[in-house]
Amino acid sequence: MNEALRESLSAVMDGEGDDLALRRLLARSEDAEVRATWSRYHLARDALHGHAAAARVDISGAVRQAIDAEAVPRRKGAGSWRSVASFAIAASVTAVVVLGGRELAGVGDRPGAGPVAAPVGLVNTIGAAPVRASYGARAVPALQPAAAGAYDELARQRLRLYSQDHAEQAALNTPQGLIPFARVPEIDR
Amino acid sequence: MTAAVVLRWLLWPVLAATGSAALAQGCPETDPEAVALLEALAGRAGAVSYEGVLTLQRGNSLRMMALRHRVDGDLVSEDLTLLTGQEAQVVRGDHPLDCDSPGQQLLRAAALAQGECGLAGHYRISTGPGERVAGRRAVRLLLQPRDMYRYGYVFELDRESAVLLKGTVLGAGGRPLEQFQFASVNIGGDAPAASERPTAAVVHRTAHAHPAAPQAGPETGLGWTPGWLPAGFVPTDETAAQSVRRSYTDGMATFSVFVERLGEPLRPGEGVVREGSTVSYTRGLTLGPDPVLITVLGEIPVNTARMVADAVQRVR
Repeated sequence: MNEALRESLSAVMDGEGDDLALRRLLARSEDAEVRATWSRYHLARDALHGHAAAARVDISGAVRQAIDAEAVPRRKGAGSWRSVASFAIAASVTAVVVLGGRELAGVGDRPGAGPVAAPVGLVNTIGAAPVRASYGARAVPALQPAAAGAYDELARQRLRLYSQDHAEQAALNTPQGLIPFARVPEIDR
Repeated sequence: MTAAVVLRWLLWPVLAATGSAALAQGCPETDPEAVALLEALAGRAGAVSYEGVLTLQRGNSLRMMALRHRVDGDLVSEDLTLLTGQEAQVVRGDHPLDCDSPGQQLLRAAALAQGECGLAGHYRISTGPGERVAGRRAVRLLLQPRDMYRYGYVFELDRESAVLLKGTVLGAGGRPLEQFQFASVNIGGDAPAASERPTAAVVHRTAHAHPAAPQAGPETGLGWTPGWLPAGFVPTDETAAQSVRRSYTDGMATFSVFVERLGEPLRPGEGVVREGSTVSYTRGLTLGPDPVLITVLGEIPVNTARMVADAVQRVR
């Protein structure tokens, strides 16, 4: 992991990240090292803040606290979201969804994924945040569902996760024989 | 209620009525030459051994692979080895030549024009003069969708053996979404024995469950059913009521629906990723009291995927 990426990760986690930092991070969200570093940073930060460092960090909890602290109004309807949550908060939550989503959902290990905790419960929270990316140091608040990017990332993850199961069916039910397997991003045993 | 839902409910009686009217009138007229080609594709094309190197192009990405199809009596062994990118191989051994999967049945139904029309009910099927592919003369089989729920296909079939040499998936306006074609192929020759198969770091053996035998796949913890399917799509296999996955085919295209139950409510939303003709459409919504994440993955237009996800219903 290069220095720029490490800085982005740290910045996003500390709520200092800008759009560029978040994008850089999202682009590498499948990277095991990035994910491990993300967890480590959380451990370090919790220790710094005097929390007992749990073996397995509850990232979602930490983020929820952060969001509650921002006192985002929780009313329904896009038009009523007038809060001025900073982009940085949305960025850090987006990163949680993307980096922590699979682990939280327990869907990282295919198959056998049962009903576990919520990966997208967090999308709920960010989706509500009416924020927009800014290229400057401070965020420019605007009414835009921050969840859109997170959902696309989920769609990308699901594509990787489910492609092979789908290809099994396509290979048996289309005239193209085994060729549907060539569409699978990464073939598993 | 979203506009899509309203539209669907408004259109539903119309769609249902046109569907049954088409059935009552018999199958739409299909060019006899096209029927013969479909028949060959569904039948004798699989009964000949062949091997070759082919490419799959999707947007800017190009994958090269070696494909072998070996017929021994009434069994077929196939393997696909990726030659670029990941070192992986997919092996399907001892597959019955007359395998009667739902997709194969639909292909044959179109060829025989029996019962429900199969493919012919949902595609305009025609033929044309073919190209030269991998040094061989081909004939063209064209499938144009009769509705907006599926893509179109152009297949180049070997003139002698009917082996599929090239295939293009066409999106709206005839825009090519992806294409595979043999660069070189050896048809009918003696394919090398299984022991000479090239090795790969990852070897996947295809699952081949009988379509009517429910697979013990992962379960999602709630019963669900698709409330709507595009006309002509049937389940590819039997699945348990709480199965995470269900898949559907119209004989040409397939798509799979995956339902994950979540622990917490979520803000409704959707995400779309496209690769070639494949779409992954992920949608967060609530089914009754349960927040779920629904993913529709397949070779269908995004609007079809959205409508399918939108209509998923909870069942007891």
